[in-house]
Amino acid sequence: MTARSLSGSTASGERAAVRSGWWSRTWNENGAGYLFLLPWFIGFFGLTIVPILSSLYLSFTNFNMLQAPDWVGADNYVRMFTHDPKFFQSMRVTLLFVVFSVPLKLAFALLVALLLNRGMRGLPLYRAVFYLPSLLGASVAIAVLWRTLFAGDGLVNKGLAVIGIQGPAWISNPRYSLWTLVALAVWQFGSPMIIFLAGLRQIPQDVYEAASMEGASKWRIFWKITLPLLTPVVFFNAVIQIIEGFKSFTPAFIISGGTGNPVNSTLFYTLYLYQEAFSFFRMGYASALAWVLLVVVAVFTGISFFSSRYWVHYDS
Amino acid sequence: MTLSLDRRQFLMGSSALVAAGAFGATSPAMAADVHLRLYWWGGQERADRTNKVSDLFAQANPGFTHDEDFNAFNDYWPKLGTQVAGGNAPDVFQMDYRYIVEYANRGAIQALDDYIGKSLKLDDFDQDQIEGGRVNGKLYAISLGANSVAMMVNKDAFAAAGVDLPTRDWSYDDYKSRAEAFNAKSNGMRLLADGSQGGDPPLENWLRARGKALYTDDGKLAFDADDLVEWFKLWADLRAANVCVGPDDQALDATAAIDTTMITLGKAATTFANSNQLIGFQAVNKAQLTMINFPRPGAGVGGGHYRKPSQFWSVNPKSANLDESIKYVSFFINDIEAGKALGVERGIPCSKAVRDAVSPTLAVQDQEALNFVSNLGDLLGSLPPSPPNAAGEVATQLNTTAQAIAFGQTTPEDAGPAFIQEATDILARAATKA
Repeated sequence: MTARSLSGSTASGERAAVRSGWWSRTWNENGAGYLFLLPWFIGFFGLTIVPILSSLYLSFTNFNMLQAPDWVGADNYVRMFTHDPKFFQSMRVTLLFVVFSVPLKLAFALLVALLLNRGMRGLPLYRAVFYLPSLLGASVAIAVLWRTLFAGDGLVNKGLAVIGIQGPAWISNPRYSLWTLVALAVWQFGSPMIIFLAGLRQIPQDVYEAASMEGASKWRIFWKITLPLLTPVVFFNAVIQIIEGFKSFTPAFIISGGTGNPVNSTLFYTLYLYQEAFSFFRMGYASALAWVLLVVVAVFTGISFFSSRYWVHYDS
Repeated sequence: MTLSLDRRQFLMGSSALVAAGAFGATSPAMAADVHLRLYWWGGQERADRTNKVSDLFAQANPGFTHDEDFNAFNDYWPKLGTQVAGGNAPDVFQMDYRYIVEYANRGAIQALDDYIGKSLKLDDFDQDQIEGGRVNGKLYAISLGANSVAMMVNKDAFAAAGVDLPTRDWSYDDYKSRAEAFNAKSNGMRLLADGSQGGDPPLENWLRARGKALYTDDGKLAFDADDLVEWFKLWADLRAANVCVGPDDQALDATAAIDTTMITLGKAATTFANSNQLIGFQAVNKAQLTMINFPRPGAGVGGGHYRKPSQFWSVNPKSANLDESIKYVSFFINDIEAGKALGVERGIPCSKAVRDAVSPTLAVQDQEALNFVSNLGDLLGSLPPSPPNAAGEVATQLNTTAQAIAFGQTTPEDAGPAFIQEATDILARAATKA
């Protein structure tokens, strides 16, 4: 048992060796290990693998939750690509969101990380403060706050009015609503920032010393030293954020009241999937949507990995 | 330091924990204990009144406990759907005329015919309200009150602008002709909310007054593209003339919750709602409210309104306490004290005894609601057939389409036929899996 190996007492180790042979000792130790793993196995198979496979099966059926699923072959997938303008609209909204929010968020996170990396006083405090929005990120309260801030007569427009600008109705106008959500995502830059900070700390100081002795400008140091040496971290952050972006749900759900309106301008893919599943009870179709999302995310992640060999520097 | 813990100590410790947990979780079980889960849509006002009834029921039935949950209308349905799918639906939950066919066909609500005269008393219950709860001849839901669509009216705003309050004769044109006078003093407030984006009730009312309807008996669309184009144009015209709110404001009302309606937000002096909601609206509005019928399509044209079951109680057929659930529902609609606690917040009580007992106790605004529904006169038409499965999805699409027109992304002429096609597709798709 692990408790015994933890004890580290040679006396008990000898006793065990005498009492049993190599096999049974291995079994004793591994058996206990598997026993400890059992809750995880149950969770992994019961709560992850089985539901995933069920949803794959359901994606080939019509299923309204109350009657048994009807096998319909690939109909759901065919419909999606031939008869479903909302599918394309939600895909468009989500792609726009990912394409704009991810680079902006990463740039912002890197900028703040660079500022915080200059060894200022009270750094832990600033780090915590900047990280806070990310902790609150998926929460309903923040989305509600955002809704209030960006309402037609909300705080943002009152601020703009002070400098003489008549702000639009940010969240209730289809021209701006998505960008409000992009801004919310960018504001939650905390977790990539922390990772950038850790990455910056790992860049050896002697490289910087050599560069400054040669008289390189700060700008040049950033582009020629910091950024290249940071690319593995940029890559990691980019992949994580792309996946997060495709999965984004709560802000759109709260801010549009679950509708994806105005005029489907915030109909995120996950929101559409949710509507199909829980407003219109088409579990089969929603499962098919989920699998298409999985493929899309896999493709984008694949592209990231493929492209990484051209811009990520892994020398130590 | 080394951590030393042998197997026996470890097991003893953990089993002691398990045992403690087991004993802690077990409460003394009593046969008489009944716990019901209740779920409805509505605001705090409704919750307070409902809880009073539950307390009364608990007094009459020792051992009864309950927990409750409530949401705005649009949030209610996804959650209920999830719970039904997960096999943990509440014991007693509210049902709407729009969803009753869908839930009944799916076997998600209990047919109550076998309980009538036993645990379910319907002796002096309005016949038309019983009919409203039937699907394919079986009674699946008990009406909690009759109501009608109605417009909430901000009396103070009309007084401040020096414009007479709307009367039961006003048509859309009458509102339009007063808009200029109203807007001159209203500080940005408009006369009307945008009814084209108010779900399907304003459209239905307008269609019915013109001799059409939303749906046929067999669940098909009962209007055509020309009707719809005319409807969309009516609203484009009202927007252009600043009779109703602009799209930026109307879009703030995403979930049809009372808190975000145009009247509550102070954007419009009236809002499209239901007669039983006057209490709920007044609770969150500082201005004095009253109610009036939906605008007529033209002078003297009526028949758009009907006495609709405002909402029902339905019972979960898989409830462990089916009998008690039905008993609770019966108490809710028949008990005089319960009726007094509820007033007309969910609509006019359907039991004559309750109605007679409640009527003298009502506050002025509640009297107003009762009188409104009782005196619809020429505005009253017959009860339309219960809408088809996908009516909710069609209404959602209608809102999106009307919004697209209001934001200038399409025109009434294009949107009318396009919507008919979309709605027909939605209905056909839903019909393949009834």
